[in-house]
Amino acid sequence: MKIVTLARWTIRELAAKATLYVLAGISTLMLLFAAFAIGTDSTADGLTITFFGKPASPPVTHEALADIAGKIEAGFAGGLFLGIVLFGVFGTAGVITDALEKGTVDLYLSKPIARWQLLLGKYLGSVAAIFLNILYFIGGLWLIVGLKVGVWNTRFLLSSLLLTFVFAALYAVVTFFGIVSRNMAIAIIAGILYFMLIAGPLEGRQTGLYLLSESGVYRGILDGLYYIFPQIPAMESGVIHLISGEEMQATPFVQSFFSAGGILGLAAWLLQKRDF
Amino acid sequence: MLAIESNALSKVYRSGLLRRQEVTALTEFSIQVETGQIFSLLGPNGAGKTTFIKMLLSLAAPTSGSASVLGRRLPDVRVREKVGYLPENHRYPGYLTGEQVLSYFGALGGSHAGPLPGRISTLMELVGLSQWRTMKVKKYSKGMMQRLGLAQALINDPEIIFLDEPTDGVDPVGRKEIREILRDLKRRGKTIFLNSHLLSEVELVSDRVAVLDKGHLLKVGTVDEMTATGQAYVIGITGTLPEPVTVAARAFVIRLSQQGENVTAECRTTAELNRVIDLLRKHGVEITSVTRQRSTLEDSFISLITGEARP
Ligand SMILES: Nc1ncnc2c1ncn2[C@@H]1O[C@H](COP(=O)(O)OP(=O)(O)OP(=O)(O)O)[C@@H](O)[C@H]1O
Ligand SMILES: [Mg+2]
Repeated sequence: MKIVTLARWTIRELAAKATLYVLAGISTLMLLFAAFAIGTDSTADGLTITFFGKPASPPVTHEALADIAGKIEAGFAGGLFLGIVLFGVFGTAGVITDALEKGTVDLYLSKPIARWQLLLGKYLGSVAAIFLNILYFIGGLWLIVGLKVGVWNTRFLLSSLLLTFVFAALYAVVTFFGIVSRNMAIAIIAGILYFMLIAGPLEGRQTGLYLLSESGVYRGILDGLYYIFPQIPAMESGVIHLISGEEMQATPFVQSFFSAGGILGLAAWLLQKRDF
Repeated sequence: MLAIESNALSKVYRSGLLRRQEVTALTEFSIQVETGQIFSLLGPNGAGKTTFIKMLLSLAAPTSGSASVLGRRLPDVRVREKVGYLPENHRYPGYLTGEQVLSYFGALGGSHAGPLPGRISTLMELVGLSQWRTMKVKKYSKGMMQRLGLAQALINDPEIIFLDEPTDGVDPVGRKEIREILRDLKRRGKTIFLNSHLLSEVELVSDRVAVLDKGHLLKVGTVDEMTATGQAYVIGITGTLPEPVTVAARAFVIRLSQQGENVTAECRTTAELNRVIDLLRKHGVEITSVTRQRSTLEDSFISLITGEARP
């Protein structure tokens, strides 16, 4: 109950700080762009998808059109993903650090709530706020593609949940550094650096970091790190595959679930030990 | 039942990973606060007052010793259902209005007497913020924040209210209003624990006062006992102090004691000193010397706070 109260007020906080509206505004612009750009044209040879009135695909049957629509949606989802990583982390990192601010944390912790509940409530509130945004964008695009192209891709709708999950995994890292440093800038930088300098290179380690040394120990450590940390890039390509109608690997999601859970657990333990 | 009890509670803050730093904030602090009392903890900056409250609320973990609140041995989350807290330098999320602060923190708190909206308007009225109810707290003045903090501390109808420098930044009229609120809470059987560095701030309402300095408890007692500091004289005598003198003198001096051939008498006036000397002479005690005692660290500290109290 207390966790729900905390999460609900966290969403309000993000709304009041305009974070939610800025994100929604960006989404709206992209949706308007899509609504104007995407269209269909039927010729004697079949249907084609048009981009600003110009054919963007060879004429095909209606079934094959679904494939192409899926690819377009996947492209937008990829863009959305980057947007979430950047704007989402920027907009929500303060949720954790503000709550730990001197004078504020005293108020929270003088209430009958455990510290892990404070952490989880704030964390879930941020994730829920980002979910609302993702749902708005994906739902809007789903409608646009459905209405204009006639392809109703349920997998695309479903991807909003998975994309939220990807954000949640990354946000666990941001939360961890927010708790350790109590500094919003550090939390943001740590999250972005993790995404760019750790998650990416670990994902592509077989063709990159592996080449630095032949040592089995070194490669073993790289593999270990890969499985310990949330596998953001692997999950992203999983979501893209899902939307385009291809097969999706579930393992990165399962592993990242435990990994993010572990990181949050560690953060809660550090928070528990601290004197305010 | 005791509202608050601490036994040899100590706190050493440790910080710094490489260069380890230790600060002893509280040393073997033991006090007992009875329910329904207004109890004040006095001490200069850095004495450890806030640290004590933080340990009672589990914001900081004791290094050693133990404490219980409302009969529950700490740490215990349930204690915080019955406790209200006004922290020093409290900060509310600035995007909330005064009213929203109360409903947010009210919802996070424990049980409440009656529905929250009703309590919120009653409390806003009580602390004189009714007309600022819907203003964002980032626009509040310091005194308004303090009043809101007091309302927040009361939102869950607590049994014990911890107030850390409640009148900080509040104007004289507001201070008087706050004192009235505290007296009213006491009438309703609540226990109030106040932190302050000024005796003048608390002497009008407190039942008992404890003086803390550099983490050490110097003195506990009623306000009268605290303010009754006089000049100590050491009277040299031969032999022992006759019992009738002790009894008679203790009726008017603050303190009278004997160590060897020295009698220490703490008097408010020199007339009192002379009455003591008269008594001694009357009982045939030979006086060898009379000296004014230089005040001890403790005395000077207390007169420092009481001195500030009387401009
Ligand atoms: N979180 C902390 N980490 C390290 N040291 C601390 C911490 N909190 C307090 N201290 C130290 O503990 C000592 C007591 O501080 P405390 O805040 O309890 O004093 P206080 O009596 O409330 O003072 P004031 O009247 O200024 O509010 C001080 O020396 C302070 O520097
Ligand atoms: Mg203090």
